[in-house]
Amino acid sequence: MSDIDIYRRKARAWLESVAPRFGRAARAGLSEEEDLALGRAYLRERFAAGYAGINWPIEFGGQGLGHIEKVAFETEEMPFGMPTAYFSISLGMPVPIIMRFCEDKAWVKERVLKALQGEEIWCQLFSEPAGGSDLAGLRTRAETDGNGWKINGQKVWTSWAQYSDYGVIVVRTDPTVPKHKGLTYFWVDMKAPGVTVRPIKLAGGDSHVNEVFFDDVKVGDDHRMSPVGGGFAVAMATLMIERYVATDSAGFGPHLDLFVALAEEAEINGRPAIEDGRIRQQIARNHAMRNSLDAITARAMKMMQAGMEPGPEGSLNKLVSVRSRQKLSELAIDLQGAAGLHFDAHAPVKQDWGASWINAPTGRIAGGADEMLLNTIAEKILGLPQDHRPDKGIPFNQIPA
Amino acid sequence: MSILYDEGQQAIASESRRILEAHVTTEALLPLLETQDAIFEPFWSIAKEQGWTAVALPEAYGGLGLGLIELGLVALQAGRSLSGAPFLTPSFGAARAILDHGDEALKQHWLPRLATGDAICAIAFAEGQQVIGRSLAFKDGKLGGTKPAVTGGTRADVAVVTASDGKEPILAVAELAGIERQAIDSFDNSRCAADLIFADTPATVLARGPAAEEAALHILALQAVITAHEQTGGAEKLLETARDYALTRRAFGQPIGAFQSVKHRIAEIYALVELARAGAVHAASREGQDDFIAAAAAARIQATDSYDTAARDCVQVHGGIGVTWEAGLHLHMRRARSLAIEQGNLFFWEDVLVDRLREKAA
Repeated sequence: MSDIDIYRRKARAWLESVAPRFGRAARAGLSEEEDLALGRAYLRERFAAGYAGINWPIEFGGQGLGHIEKVAFETEEMPFGMPTAYFSISLGMPVPIIMRFCEDKAWVKERVLKALQGEEIWCQLFSEPAGGSDLAGLRTRAETDGNGWKINGQKVWTSWAQYSDYGVIVVRTDPTVPKHKGLTYFWVDMKAPGVTVRPIKLAGGDSHVNEVFFDDVKVGDDHRMSPVGGGFAVAMATLMIERYVATDSAGFGPHLDLFVALAEEAEINGRPAIEDGRIRQQIARNHAMRNSLDAITARAMKMMQAGMEPGPEGSLNKLVSVRSRQKLSELAIDLQGAAGLHFDAHAPVKQDWGASWINAPTGRIAGGADEMLLNTIAEKILGLPQDHRPDKGIPFNQIPA
Repeated sequence: MSILYDEGQQAIASESRRILEAHVTTEALLPLLETQDAIFEPFWSIAKEQGWTAVALPEAYGGLGLGLIELGLVALQAGRSLSGAPFLTPSFGAARAILDHGDEALKQHWLPRLATGDAICAIAFAEGQQVIGRSLAFKDGKLGGTKPAVTGGTRADVAVVTASDGKEPILAVAELAGIERQAIDSFDNSRCAADLIFADTPATVLARGPAAEEAALHILALQAVITAHEQTGGAEKLLETARDYALTRRAFGQPIGAFQSVKHRIAEIYALVELARAGAVHAASREGQDDFIAAAAAARIQATDSYDTAARDCVQVHGGIGVTWEAGLHLHMRRARSLAIEQGNLFFWEDVLVDRLREKAA
């Protein structure tokens, strides 16, 4: 048994030991506040058990292991349905980026330890009403204010901002230069005067994303994490951190076995659905596709184990899996006939076809819309030309609105 | 689990690619479409010289002692080049049938000749819409009846067939010397398809009853994995062709690859190629395991869909030039379809896969 297999086995044993208190069953029926409290408790125990900050430096409180151990743990953790979602952005991007770009290391270590134990949560303030996929088109501005800065504007789609203590933010500090060149990167105190968080209710009924308004919010220059005008590079670095993440060929929806089980029970026009060619074809094709995605992931793990950089095909998982989950969820609702109308907005998306279906569009838009992922494949992997960009090279304040 | 290719395997891939790119051209392949029983002879000579016919056979019978993974790598390159002769996969499948089910005399008789490529073997299972047909009659050691549209049938020296003795299924091997063959016109004529008409043709039984059924499916699965690599290679070549064309062809003042409708179409082909590759390599690594048939079926389904779609969309990206005879993209359209049928259509494999997924769940 290889080292990573031993690591996985130990991790699974630990997860099984705490699952009765933190897993899916323990969470059923909790309010969001109760669930968040349970999540904080889970993170404390996870930290104590040595499964927090797995690939982060020891000097900041991490475990100093590799990407492969991190991905292995996350892959083992996912099926248990632990209450980790509130911390996924926090630990995924903002906290790693402050470790890299903040100068005051003692302060950073304090933040890291609190974040790893669920005491503090960080959010990422990037998207705006006028700039999601086009991040560099953002309009929130920071102007000099004495020795520091003053922020005004609005962010949107900010996950878990309602529970966040801190955030990292990209703002425009110079509108007279082309859009990528006038941005600067800061961290902000989410409890500071002038910060207003307003949850957005999504189509599925839940509110994990927010609008965040900045109204003369003052930050010191020691909050600045990039050179003035150098914020876009740090923003890109933030988005690159999550290259090594646990993937899910089910598109973060239900496993195909659940569809097969449904088809075993369902009938179509009085005949068993599992014998119906339309259903069989979907099962077979979805399995084939997921089987390939799993093989890509397995190969990436082997490459990491061998000290190699995994291939770019790893980027396919989200694009391919989420949109097929969306269609399969529709089909699963169809299969249930009138019974398919029953809907529980808070059902777990990995267990329930209705919840999977209503939330699937979010997965195709958040973290890189399908169209942006296709652009990235076309441009970065295949070397095809960039789109025509009329705003290229033009000072931001002269771009036609 | 999947695998990483080792240095030897990478060398097989790069060497076979180098040789094929130097020798196989669109100009040489196009005339084959208009004649029955025409192959691109240099391809088959190369396959023999390079030992590709021997790759996955045991050393004891003149083989190189490698496996599905290595033969798959060669097949992927053959798929890129469109090869020019259809014998590599069925000769391997038949050799495995003889190796796994034949007696020593039969092995000594056929395997060394299959390893050198001096003998060509066909797999004659299909009968019309039956992927594994059994209407061929086996009686008193002899076969009677027709196996239609057998790939490589115009030239095969020996065939592994599915038949029935009236009571139970039979898997048998028959020498084809003197047998009546009727070449058929297909949309991919270099596949050398022919109806094989057996009449009191002596045959040796390899397996009977359920064992014969299981053996036939296993041989088909082995071939499906090789073919999935070939399909991946074809799709990969189409991806590159579409990309290169989109970079050079200009319209409305810019390369057509700058239009999202075009670049996204090509990016989708990339996704299909990588899915096909991953499925094929994974299946090759599962030989001998309980889930091999399911892995082969999954690879087959993904690769077939990927190659067909790549062919369709690569032509579309090319616009008018894509539908001309000379551009030769139709060679891939044709190959995508012939390979989609040769190892059993997707209706067959989808059922095989779903039955196995149900067994696993039960």
